[in-house]
Amino acid sequence: MEKVKLGIIGFGRMGITHFSIINSHPDVLITSVADTSSLILSLLKKYKKRINFYADFRQLLANEDIDAILICTPPALNFEIIKLASEKGVHVFAEKPFTTNSILANELTKLFERKDLVNQVGYVNRFNDIFANVKECVDSGVIGKVIRFKSEMYSRTITKTEEGKTWRDSRGSGGGAIYEMASHAIDLVTFLVGKPDKVTGTSLTKIFSKNVEDAVCSTFLYKSGISGTINVNWSDESFRKPTNKIELFGTHGKILADQHSYKIYMKKALSEKNLREGWNTIYITDVFKPVPFYVRGNEFTSQLYHFIDCIKNKTTNKCTFRDGANTLEVIDELFFDYEQNGMF
Amino acid sequence: MEQIDKIIFGDNQFFGINHMSQEKAQQLSEQFFDIRNIYKVYQMAFNAGINSIMLNSNDRAKEICEHFVSNKSRYPHINWYPSIPYPHKYANLVSEKGIIPAINEILFKDNSTMGVFSMITKGSAAFLGKDAIKMMQMLIDIEMKMFKGLDVKVIFLQNIITDLILGYDIPEIFEEYCLYIKKKYNALPGLISQNMPFLKSKLEQWNITEIVICSSYNKIGYLMSPNVEAYVQTANSNDPTKYQLMAMSTLASGAINPRDAYEFINNQKIQSVVFGASSKKHIEETVSLIKI
Repeated sequence: MEKVKLGIIGFGRMGITHFSIINSHPDVLITSVADTSSLILSLLKKYKKRINFYADFRQLLANEDIDAILICTPPALNFEIIKLASEKGVHVFAEKPFTTNSILANELTKLFERKDLVNQVGYVNRFNDIFANVKECVDSGVIGKVIRFKSEMYSRTITKTEEGKTWRDSRGSGGGAIYEMASHAIDLVTFLVGKPDKVTGTSLTKIFSKNVEDAVCSTFLYKSGISGTINVNWSDESFRKPTNKIELFGTHGKILADQHSYKIYMKKALSEKNLREGWNTIYITDVFKPVPFYVRGNEFTSQLYHFIDCIKNKTTNKCTFRDGANTLEVIDELFFDYEQNGMF
Repeated sequence: MEQIDKIIFGDNQFFGINHMSQEKAQQLSEQFFDIRNIYKVYQMAFNAGINSIMLNSNDRAKEICEHFVSNKSRYPHINWYPSIPYPHKYANLVSEKGIIPAINEILFKDNSTMGVFSMITKGSAAFLGKDAIKMMQMLIDIEMKMFKGLDVKVIFLQNIITDLILGYDIPEIFEEYCLYIKKKYNALPGLISQNMPFLKSKLEQWNITEIVICSSYNKIGYLMSPNVEAYVQTANSNDPTKYQLMAMSTLASGAINPRDAYEFINNQKIQSVVFGASSKKHIEETVSLIKI
């Protein structure tokens, strides 16, 4: 197969990072970039003469002969872009949370499934070697049946009073701690435990933002008897880097995990998994898989290389639009629960 | 190319950075909240015979630099190996404000003494957008301000920046960076990278030489893309008059015990090791183990 011809739409922080990573892939040729900021494009234009630059993504999709696109725009723009891409028969990687609600997300999911186009959402934790190991432990029953969980995410993203000028400070654009941060914490839950049947006790708290929530907590209930909580805060200066933590309590043991390590408490030793009774600690240095090119962490490279692998070799995708739509269904319920029950 | 020091004392331990464990990182950040505890550890390193320091231009580095400038007579002569920038500062600012306002703030807020005052009238970052090189030079000057008065031997570009630009495959940025560091700071240009073999092959292809390349280098291949074998091969065929290689993360954040780690490192064709430690015992042990 020839090189995968690729366009990038949206050239903010994620677009800039993804360009660097995917440009290192031997089977990829970046042909075009679209962004509304002339500054970013003019910086790049000078050095990348062979790439076509567009201020309007519609023109990129209309003019370019491409196989795939990476979408890194504010989420509210994604529906139109992804729909156009499906009409053109282009494979899509979209940054999370992929769209702003589950109705749009489900429509896109159906379009892509019908056309058999590769579709992936950027929930990068699924490609983190620790969380991938935790998934394996849960699926193979190492801690028995999961009964309770706690999924948390903290970062120091917004630590000063916001003036409300960027897209991050507008729910309509897809900004706020739910779309940006809680989506990761929720995706880890749907990835490891499944989608909840009921969302309750949701609180959204403004700390520094003018128009959107900075902290979120909520309780998830399952018909099977599982229950758990999420707790997210993007205004927590005590965290140097964005951090996901997940705790899973099962009938045979317990797991505490973040991106760097996980601890398993075992009621009984499990020799085939090399786990002793009591506490076991597994570090990222024990389980990492090297990547061909590193920019921001192995998982960022793995997820994009996986996207290309799915296009070239028809590999089953690990984080599809359907997965993204599931998380957005939970997000819809969070907003609904808060508006119905959480406000005084 | 001037030879760099064989052993350099690093700084991750002081600033709550540990790739393996966030808990450990938190403990260290508490221990070094009192900056005098940092100076005590530096003194232990000097007593062990080290006289070179690698320091990232983060918020606390400014105070450390000031301390060493104003107490020069109390210390042996020290070679400084700054690494710039402090990436999280930029990342957070970009999230809060968007990319262009962030660049504006960094370049123009409180930097009127930097000789950039005249640029403000010319329309700030929007104006500079046409000139990536000028913007880069201004950012270097801002980051390097705190090291004024210290004997700077190598100026390193942090891996997040080096590797990001490396992925773009733009030789001009690397050429101009190296030229500017040599000319303006009379120092050796350094590049920190988690893709050492790829970076070095690109630099050779672009004919950019006399560079110090610092990269993770440990026997388990942690933070070494694409793999250990490629690193060993690259080091074996390296001409140290063109590129000096410096190893970091030699213990892979503690996953390898020092004896095994340096048994491996001592057999590599590298010129230098940077390591961090926070106790007298560990510093002395490491110094005694490094035989490159």
